[in-house]
Amino acid sequence: MTKLLTLFLAVVLTFSACSSENDKEIVISTNEWIGYTPLFYAYEKGELDKLHFKLIKNVSLAEAANLYAIGKADMVTTTQHEYHSLQAATHDIVPVILMDRSNGGDMVLSNKSTEALKNSPQIYAYLEIDSINKEILIDFITHNKIDKNKIIFINKDQKQIQNITNDKTKDILIVTYNPYNIALEAKGFQEIASTKNINSILVIDALCARDKIIKTDKQRLIQLKKVLDNAINTIEQDPRASYKVVAKYLSNISYKEYLNSLKQIKWINKPSKEFLDYIQQYGYKKDTIIR
Amino acid sequence: MNSLSIKSFVIIVILFVIGLESLIFYNFFQDSKRSINELLTNSLQSDVLNLKHYMQKNLKQKDINEIVSHMDNLIVINPVIRDIHILDNNKNIVYNPDIRMPQGTVHATGECIPISKIVETDLFAQNCYSFSIKTYKGLNPQYYYANIYIDSKYIDNLVMQQMKKTLLLFTIATFLFSIILWLLSKYYVILPLKELRQYAYYSENPPKNFFIKELESIRYSLSITFKRLKKEQEQLYNLSTKDPLSGLYNRLSLIEKLNWLISKGQRDKDEFAVLFLDLDNFKNVNDSKGHEFGDKILLHISKTLLKATRKNDIVSRLGGDEFVVVLSEFKDENKIVEIAQRLKENLSKPFKLDDEEFTITASMGIAIYPKDGEDVKTLLKNADIAMYKSKELGKNNYQFFTDDINKAVQERISIQKTIRNALQNNHFKLFYQPKVDIKTNKIVACEALIRLIDPIEGMIPPYKFISIAEENMSIIPLGEWIIKEAVSQIKKWEQTPLKDIKVSINLSGVQFKDQELLQKIEMLTKDIDRSKFDIELTESVLIEEFQERLNVIKNIKKLGISLSLDDFGTGYSSLSYLKDIPFDTLKIDKAFIDNIYTKDDLTFINMIIGIADDLELNVVAEGVETKEQLKLLKEINCEQYQGYLCSKPVPPKEFEELFSKN
Repeated sequence: MTKLLTLFLAVVLTFSACSSENDKEIVISTNEWIGYTPLFYAYEKGELDKLHFKLIKNVSLAEAANLYAIGKADMVTTTQHEYHSLQAATHDIVPVILMDRSNGGDMVLSNKSTEALKNSPQIYAYLEIDSINKEILIDFITHNKIDKNKIIFINKDQKQIQNITNDKTKDILIVTYNPYNIALEAKGFQEIASTKNINSILVIDALCARDKIIKTDKQRLIQLKKVLDNAINTIEQDPRASYKVVAKYLSNISYKEYLNSLKQIKWINKPSKEFLDYIQQYGYKKDTIIR
Repeated sequence: MNSLSIKSFVIIVILFVIGLESLIFYNFFQDSKRSINELLTNSLQSDVLNLKHYMQKNLKQKDINEIVSHMDNLIVINPVIRDIHILDNNKNIVYNPDIRMPQGTVHATGECIPISKIVETDLFAQNCYSFSIKTYKGLNPQYYYANIYIDSKYIDNLVMQQMKKTLLLFTIATFLFSIILWLLSKYYVILPLKELRQYAYYSENPPKNFFIKELESIRYSLSITFKRLKKEQEQLYNLSTKDPLSGLYNRLSLIEKLNWLISKGQRDKDEFAVLFLDLDNFKNVNDSKGHEFGDKILLHISKTLLKATRKNDIVSRLGGDEFVVVLSEFKDENKIVEIAQRLKENLSKPFKLDDEEFTITASMGIAIYPKDGEDVKTLLKNADIAMYKSKELGKNNYQFFTDDINKAVQERISIQKTIRNALQNNHFKLFYQPKVDIKTNKIVACEALIRLIDPIEGMIPPYKFISIAEENMSIIPLGEWIIKEAVSQIKKWEQTPLKDIKVSINLSGVQFKDQELLQKIEMLTKDIDRSKFDIELTESVLIEEFQERLNVIKNIKKLGISLSLDDFGTGYSSLSYLKDIPFDTLKIDKAFIDNIYTKDDLTFINMIIGIADDLELNVVAEGVETKEQLKLLKEINCEQYQGYLCSKPVPPKEFEELFSKN
């Protein structure tokens, strides 16, 4: 009888063990950006699945942030702009993994020269206002002393911006980022400024998470960091191989464009102490960053 | 571990299943609640995402009324959303639809938590979620806030409905399962087991075939076992109650039935009779024809007894050739006599066995309850005693137990006891009666005669104990003692004037059954002059086993011991004995001497003396008591006499004195 009871309990426990939940899925909300290529690569290689991470790609930084804001995502890729916005709205966001900093990846395009714009009576500025675009644009017009009052600010997401036609009769100013710039440049828009030559702005792309995730899934985050490091390593060592994997996430740009895009960012996944000290001014606390 | 009834076991199983199903139900309910929560959360998140997106794109200051239809539709379509409030940067409500809530309803904004926390909260416990809406005027952000109020009643009702459905399903399933399990257990296990228990207990009314294979197997096994047991029981009963040869009741069964009759008799004042039958001379039949033939006779007797008795009479075989018939329900003793007579006649009828006509008789003893015994032992003993009496009276007859018979038997038993005691305690004595030479009137010999002097009873005459000693074979050790004692006396007298006195002892026929008789006599007499030792034998000694005994007698003679034929003239007085047996002396029986005055007896005595003279045998006249008898004996040349005229048997010392005087 005792044996039977033991056997029964063993079976019950086995079934209950089988039915217990595995690691809860962590949803990462992101958007199309050359600096997030390691995420796309790791996802395509199944590394994220292994760690039970799910990736949701949005059309813009703002959309990605919204998803996080309503609780549909546990992690989100942000620039410092979204990071601060979400912090203000949710009070529940912490940067954990530094991805890249823009080194020309964010840029200002125009169908006119800077000089022409300075003299233009009316400028149509297309940008994703609730993003780092705004800071770049402000820096650009401030730096070039362009009168803000003659600018008409048009808030669009990057997919919409990508479809802007080059109306030569208008003075158009576009704030965009890689890879959306490629299609626009193909339409004749010229880069007149970028994060490569705008020294006053540092655009930091990082992966942020909720407090709870950091507390409960620290180890998974550390593993994720390793996966992303490996992905960056592969991208750097074998860009062709990585291109084949991630091209579809970058509006199917060419390999050459891909290589150029990569040149427009700097990986900061292994930041120096000085860098970490430096970015504290943007609210990135160095003790929460996984190195 | 204490045993548990199947009923209790099934109840425990049902309770366990109910408990388990309750747990499953609880988990299922919690899962359902979680699923509902997740679905509703997803739905709410999607709606909020769309609303937020829509608002961010379209909400401009002062034109909120242009986009409220989107919110109104959301409240109408999504039943989870009870109400939506739009607040400006100063937390003033800028839009408050009055669709599902009474107009002017103001919710406490403090209850709202950020929508980003929705996955961490319980939708069922939360009343309100909020989110911010960022619009831009130029590059300057402008904030609005939206409070989404949850319709708790709706989602509680949703869960309640789910719970009711699940509970109903669970209750019905559990109830049906329990009922089915109970009914199946009851009709296919419990009731069959009860029937099996009844069957196992009473071994009667075997149940019909069972549906459950194992139970059916047990039923079948029990059925087979009970059949075999019944058969074995019958066999054992017959073995324990019946005699295997005759099929009649055995001793054990007889005792049981007699006990029952005694109990009944005590209660109803009834009488019954016990007839003890013993076949006459059956031993001879067995010895001459063999035991197999003897068994056939016993079977014939058994059948005859059954035929001759009534149905309610009890016929049993005690063993050997002993049978007991118990007659109950008789009006008077005449009926017993009638049955006993019928038994006697039927038994003594000639019958054929193995083509040989045969006749056998039986002696019967009858004891009546309660007159002749109030218990089984006494009744059987007394019937046996009466049967022996019947045998004594000539066999092939029946004899009722009487007080006289009983007294005689009791005395016999007492004497048997006295003999055993006397042998152990040396209460036997040898007395010596002189044999006198008639011519010289000198004592020339003596006859050693046994006397039993019991310290309580006093002198017990030989005729009272010799026959009993012969019956129970104690005559053999007693005979040895006599020889030993007589030899001892001869030895004592060897150095006295009595050294020539010849001492006679009597040898019983029973002593010849002792296979070592000759060796014992030789051994016991080895230290004396055997010519001084004489053994007196009666004719009866040679009635049985003549040749064997004749050989023993001849060998005794060869030892140098003289032989006397005692009590000659009575019995057969066969002259062939005188021819075959090397006797030295004839002893004329006292009966002749008593009547010596008659012409016939005197002639007869004279004739005996003549024969003895011719055969060169000495003659001793026994029982001479008068001088007249002696005178006549002298006239016919009788050599010796023995009798009270000279002396009664006396102890050795008196005998010595007598010899001295003589």
